[in-house]
Amino acid sequence: MVVQLLVSGIAMGFVYALVSIEYTLIWNSMGLLNFGHEKIIMLGAYIYAGTMIMDMGMGYISGIVGAVFLVAALGVVVAVGIFIPLRNMNRLCAIMATVMVGNIINEAVRLFYGPEAMTVKGFMNGMIRVGGLAIARAYIYIIGISLTIVILLEIFMKKTKTGKAMRCVASNKTAASLMGIDVRRNMAITTAISFAICCILGIAVIPVFSVSSTMATMISLKGFAAGVIGSFGSLPGAIVGGLILGIMENIAGMIFPSTFKDVVAFVFLIAVLLVKPTGLLGKKK
Amino acid sequence: MIKKLRYPLAVVFAFVLPLIVSNTYYVTMFCLTLIYMIIAFGLNFITGMTGQMNLGTAGIFCLGAYTSALLTTRLSLSPWIGMAASAAVGFLIGVGLGYPSFRLEGVYLSLTTIAFGEVVRQLANNMTSVTGGAQGVRNIPPFTVFGYEIVTKIQNYYFILVFVILFAFTAYRIIHSKWGRAFIAIRDNIEAVETCGINTAHIKIVAFTLAAVYGCVAGSLYAHYSAYINASSFTLNLSVSFVVMILIGGMGNLWGCMLGAVIVSMLPEFLRFTGEYYQLTYSILILLCIVFMPGGILTALKRQQK
Repeated sequence: MVVQLLVSGIAMGFVYALVSIEYTLIWNSMGLLNFGHEKIIMLGAYIYAGTMIMDMGMGYISGIVGAVFLVAALGVVVAVGIFIPLRNMNRLCAIMATVMVGNIINEAVRLFYGPEAMTVKGFMNGMIRVGGLAIARAYIYIIGISLTIVILLEIFMKKTKTGKAMRCVASNKTAASLMGIDVRRNMAITTAISFAICCILGIAVIPVFSVSSTMATMISLKGFAAGVIGSFGSLPGAIVGGLILGIMENIAGMIFPSTFKDVVAFVFLIAVLLVKPTGLLGKKK
Repeated sequence: MIKKLRYPLAVVFAFVLPLIVSNTYYVTMFCLTLIYMIIAFGLNFITGMTGQMNLGTAGIFCLGAYTSALLTTRLSLSPWIGMAASAAVGFLIGVGLGYPSFRLEGVYLSLTTIAFGEVVRQLANNMTSVTGGAQGVRNIPPFTVFGYEIVTKIQNYYFILVFVILFAFTAYRIIHSKWGRAFIAIRDNIEAVETCGINTAHIKIVAFTLAAVYGCVAGSLYAHYSAYINASSFTLNLSVSFVVMILIGGMGNLWGCMLGAVIVSMLPEFLRFTGEYYQLTYSILILLCIVFMPGGILTALKRQQK
């Protein structure tokens, strides 16, 4: 029982970690908090389930590639059209604008795919038996996919020229443009990567939440919480925060009635903010 | 001429409105708009003037509504006592939410307030023995004034309108007081305010408390007006709409708050002719409004006149 809870906790923890990595990328690059990310995650799941699998009859893997590609392209469009012009605006306006972008995507999805929830049959289904334990295969996949993304992202940021440029833009925009980095293009690439991660996330949680318009509401809010609990704006902080949150809420589900699982996460967030506003891994100002 | 008479004119217009448009459906919407106005006045103190992002207004509204509703249905107290209790709860929330606000800024504060709103909603939804859970609270008694029950929509409209005028007047006086000037100064330059010997922590708590009291009283009005409340309506989306109200109307300005409340609650209805695209059109219009008129519609109009 405890091991099962631990596995699902780690899997959800990685989901929260990925959410917080995805918005941290945009935050570091443009200083913009993307409150519309919930809808992008949902959009990814819909494009995969509705268009790639049902309409076009693609295989599981080729469908993922197609969906990620589409959503990343949307990321470039949103970045060039909305996020990049917005980043210098008053923060309140910028946040509200990202919320509205999310609402527009939400409505477009509802009109295009209809209001009913859908699932992908046979996708990452089933149980794995280890000794006397039955663990949902979906959780194992989620952990695997997340680890792969984290490692690939780390290699991309450290080894490739674009990744290095992204880190440079994150730390100092003026210096970056003086070194010949096209800051706007770099921001567009960052947004595309962030949207691609959203899309993969959306696909990965299909077996857990099924595809519906509210599928990502909780994970996106808890992703925010995870980032703050770890250390806002840092990738290791995002992962630590996500894992702590995921494991803790599953353990809490054993002590309290399971309906209070979500409350525990947010109370913990408020507690961390009051005690150490920079997060558990954060440095003192 | 119009500038001098705008306050009485607005009041007269508000009083005459339901006589011209007497369709019950529209009067229902007017009532809701008026309640939203009170919340917008409150939110204006903290987000519009002091510049502290608050995305937990739905939680405040929810607590106010539930306090009043539960006291009147479970303990059969008078709605007036319920409203007083709501205001007291608002005071407590304001002090409680204001405390983190002097350690947290910007993003952290918006996330704390989001967490607050979510905790309130989840508790209201799950503490079935106290709040009735997902069933909501039913048969909330209406207000009584001198023995008369406020039952019909038109009566409710005028009843709420009296509160709106009262709260607008209070808000006007606060905006033009020492507090109001301190709020704006904190938004513009917090270091300078501290140098002037103003206790910024205290002023932030005052702003939060005002917002929470306004929100809770509005919640109480809402509960007794609609006679039924359900936790599932107090979502983050609602909090976002409140911020949108003060943002597109014009921040820090009472007329802006009123205009914003009217636009946010009425515009979707006027867009019904676009059929199932009305939500989409609405979101796009609001987005364009934010991008091209970042200071709100009123600020943009004033700039045009100059």
